[in-house]
Amino acid sequence: MTTDATVVLLDGVRKEYGDTTALDGVSLSIRAGEAVAVMGPSGCGKSTLLNMIAGLDRPTAGTVVVQGEDLGRKNETGLALFRRHRIGMIFQFFNLLDDLPALDNVALAAQLTGSKAGPARQRALELLDELGIADRRNAYPAALSGGERQRVAVARALMNRPALLLADEPTGALDSRAGEQVMDLLLDLNQIGQTLLIVTHDERLATRCASRVVELADGRIARERTLEKA
Amino acid sequence: MSAVWRASRAAVRRRRLQTFVIGLVVLLSTASIVVALALLDASSAPFDRAFAERRGAHVVATYDAAAVTDAQLAGHRPDVTAIAGPFRQATVDTSRDGNVPRLQGRPLTVVGRADPGGPVDTVDIWHGRWVTGPGEVVLNEAPPAAGYQARFRPEDDRVTLADGTTFTVVGRGYSISRTADAWVAPDRIAALRPTTVQMLYRFADAGTTSEVDGHVAALRTGLPPDALVATQSHLVVKETIAAGPGAYVPFLVVFGVLGLIVAVLIVGNVVSGAVVSGYRHIGVLKAMGFTPRQVVAVYLAMVSVPAVVGCVLGTVLGDLGARPLLRSAFLGLGFGAEVGVAPWIDVAALVGAPAVVLLAALVPALRAYRLSAAEAISAGSAPRPGRALRVQRALGGIRLPRAVSLGLGLPFARPARTALTMAAVVLGVVTVTFATGMSETVRRYSDLTDLKDTPIAVRPLRPDGGQPVTQRSVPEVEQLLRSVPGTTRVAGGLDLEVSIVGDREPATVYFVRGDVPAMGFADQIVTGRWLRAPDEVVAPSTVLHDHGLAVGDRATVRFGARERSVTVVGEIMSTAPGWPRMVAGWDTFERLAPNYRILPHEMYYALAVAPGTDTGRYLAAIRTADPGLDVWDNGGSNSYTTAVVALSTVLTLLLGLVAALGVFNTVVLNTRDRRRDLGMLKSIGMTPRQVVVMMVTSMAALGVVGGLLGVPLGMLAHRVVVPITADAANLSLAKALLQVWQPGGLALLAGAGLAITVLGALLPARSAARLTIAEVLHNE
Ligand SMILES: Nc1ncnc2c1ncn2[C@@H]1O[C@H](COP(=O)(O)OP(=O)(O)OP(=O)(O)O)[C@@H](O)[C@H]1O
Ligand SMILES: [Mg+2]
Repeated sequence: MTTDATVVLLDGVRKEYGDTTALDGVSLSIRAGEAVAVMGPSGCGKSTLLNMIAGLDRPTAGTVVVQGEDLGRKNETGLALFRRHRIGMIFQFFNLLDDLPALDNVALAAQLTGSKAGPARQRALELLDELGIADRRNAYPAALSGGERQRVAVARALMNRPALLLADEPTGALDSRAGEQVMDLLLDLNQIGQTLLIVTHDERLATRCASRVVELADGRIARERTLEKA
Repeated sequence: MSAVWRASRAAVRRRRLQTFVIGLVVLLSTASIVVALALLDASSAPFDRAFAERRGAHVVATYDAAAVTDAQLAGHRPDVTAIAGPFRQATVDTSRDGNVPRLQGRPLTVVGRADPGGPVDTVDIWHGRWVTGPGEVVLNEAPPAAGYQARFRPEDDRVTLADGTTFTVVGRGYSISRTADAWVAPDRIAALRPTTVQMLYRFADAGTTSEVDGHVAALRTGLPPDALVATQSHLVVKETIAAGPGAYVPFLVVFGVLGLIVAVLIVGNVVSGAVVSGYRHIGVLKAMGFTPRQVVAVYLAMVSVPAVVGCVLGTVLGDLGARPLLRSAFLGLGFGAEVGVAPWIDVAALVGAPAVVLLAALVPALRAYRLSAAEAISAGSAPRPGRALRVQRALGGIRLPRAVSLGLGLPFARPARTALTMAAVVLGVVTVTFATGMSETVRRYSDLTDLKDTPIAVRPLRPDGGQPVTQRSVPEVEQLLRSVPGTTRVAGGLDLEVSIVGDREPATVYFVRGDVPAMGFADQIVTGRWLRAPDEVVAPSTVLHDHGLAVGDRATVRFGARERSVTVVGEIMSTAPGWPRMVAGWDTFERLAPNYRILPHEMYYALAVAPGTDTGRYLAAIRTADPGLDVWDNGGSNSYTTAVVALSTVLTLLLGLVAALGVFNTVVLNTRDRRRDLGMLKSIGMTPRQVVVMMVTSMAALGVVGGLLGVPLGMLAHRVVVPITADAANLSLAKALLQVWQPGGLALLAGAGLAITVLGALLPARSAARLTIAEVLHNE
């Protein structure tokens, strides 16, 4: 069933937290270049789903395969290496390292894969420039606005040219204008071939960026619809 | 590795306070460890050092002069590295009523020796000169301790033997190998009819008993059988000499070990705090693709940087601080050698302290290792509200200002952090309580050995010294001493040798009169009680043991024709009064020996003087009042005990500082973590003042509970550890030395814990309260 073009393949993924069932048998596949939006009411398991794909957490049952690699067979170190090379993550609350200025936050991701500090900072600067915040490169996260922080987070996520970009409510903490900009950014990325998985409450974001919408309810896929690209 | 280094360097730079505290804790702990180790080393080493310097004899051998010739002895040198002798050696009896009490009726080993130097056993002539002519003798005596003056009375310069021969003491020397009691010129020894010959040997290897035994066996073979009469090992001599300062060694070990344990626990706590408050940080690192191992590396690097710096500075500080303390301590122990900090101590500190810190950091760092990324990233901002809410509701029912009741509820919101803070407070209070208690015990013990309470000694001169003799009776002398301005208390004592019925060993009883109970002796009871009625005795455990007695036993004591049945009512420490012997009241003496005519010089008086009395003038006043009274200053601290007391004070202060810093750091971190809560509370209408009150209340609650738990635990530790330590030092400690606590001091200790927590909370709470709500919420 796996083709070369399949980036993510979930099969019967269950996740339980004590008595709570966060995911109740989710099967899903995402092909390269697709932009998938996951929607649903609060607490339906969206973030949990994203964490499974990123290897941030392990399913109670079922398998998660990303780019042909079965995450269930990896140990913690293997998962870290996997995230480092294959996954870019964007969170609702940015999750930057408060200790480092914007530029180093981005460059650090490349240094993790063994890049030298010089080239890493060079590429980080190019990315910040593309995202329009090169002038804020020496500011610490605490001194940045929410939109600026999210753009730094995007730059960091893109640093290692990930096969899959995961975004958990990337505009949730932003005002509409800043949210708009981040949306445009994701759209542009998808148009140049970046595979995207976005969790969002925002119907507008979903319809603008995504080619497919997966709706979750109580840990199950309730509905899937394919959208005509705008 | 560069990403790890980058992340930890940034973390260190942005956590200045925490980094500073770790560095300072390590610095102070390392310094205390260096000081403690240096003192331990020096306490056990001065003998070795002096022994090497004086080329001490590893084996002192006594041969039968009739069985072996000098030539045989000089030629017989199995494996020796140095040899001295043969020296003629005689054992003579001194006159029972000689001048020097120390020598009365005692057998004296006299050796004929041409000079105090030589390849083995250099005799340190610290007073007078070596023997040259007839009738001259040099006595073997340890030099006076620093702070003490050698005091010789004119009559001390003559030694009278049992046969009436008299020698003039021309010098006093100290042989660390204890090769003789006295030396005469070689051509004078014949008059003493020597029957033995002394040989002194040094060997390359004689560090253990079996090595020494091996050498002794080798000495025996190759000579006529029975030629070797006796040998004395340097190891045995060392044991006797080291016993004095040795009493303090176990206490210092406890201080050193305590410093180490406290340092480990506090560093562990500080690092745990860093991990707990760094949940989100760990989560972000992991989400970015840091492997668990790399996350551990980041956290270890964060700790090692300040640890290494603190350790290097602490070693330097400890090394520099220990030197003057040690020098003053050992100057007067008869070991002239320079004492310092041995290089191995510095090396041990430089290697050991960071290793210990890393070990302490490893436990919390492993938590970071195991923490799941998803959990870490969400746990950072999610206090569990359930229990806190319940407590909050319960507190709401009590009539308290809202800010206070909210503050009291806060600790329940984050139990892990609360537990850490609490552990820091309890540990700090326990440490400080225990350390102050132990250093007070050490101080009181040294006061006893230094005769702090009875510094002045008086003994009437003997009638045979050509000296003025007092014409006063015992009560008259006592009355005179009381009348000298400055005297506050007078105790008199008389030694009498009695026999115990059914016991072949005679016993010396020291009969005391005057203010003895009030002069601190009564505080030296180990078990039982002090004398209260006639026919009671107290004695140190060694004396009780020698006579097969125990507290509560009765014994019949005989003097002349009279007998009295006495009861042992208490065991006293062997420090007081004077050397170990039985002590009984004057009324007992009067019943046992009513007809005994006391000679004035048989009495010994111990005097206490008013604070601020000029000792020199006071002594002169007594001499003027009655020239027949010999008076001297017995007090003045021995430099070694002074140094030990100073050291335990320094170590207690260092430990207190370390503990205070640990508590302070934990509280500051904890308060900082709650800044977001503060912003939220302010956004719903709390005033900055209420915010500060709330934060301080929350920490003060921990401070109070910690103090209430810590003080009794510290006292318990003191109660348990100090007697064990004293046992190791072969000391029986009086109850008074264990009852060192005063309610005021304890309240102060508990209060200090509270004050530190309040201060630790106040600073960050105030700065947080000053932030605008927007700033606080923006930063999350
Ligand atoms: N670490 C956890 N421990 C216990 N339960 C959890 C944990 N994480 C999530 N859950 C539970 O699993 C369910 C799904 O949570 P999830 O965070 O995936 O929801 P979500 O769809 O992302 O919600 P939202 O839109 O509010 O972010 C919820 O009921 C939640 O309470
Ligand atoms: Mg979510």
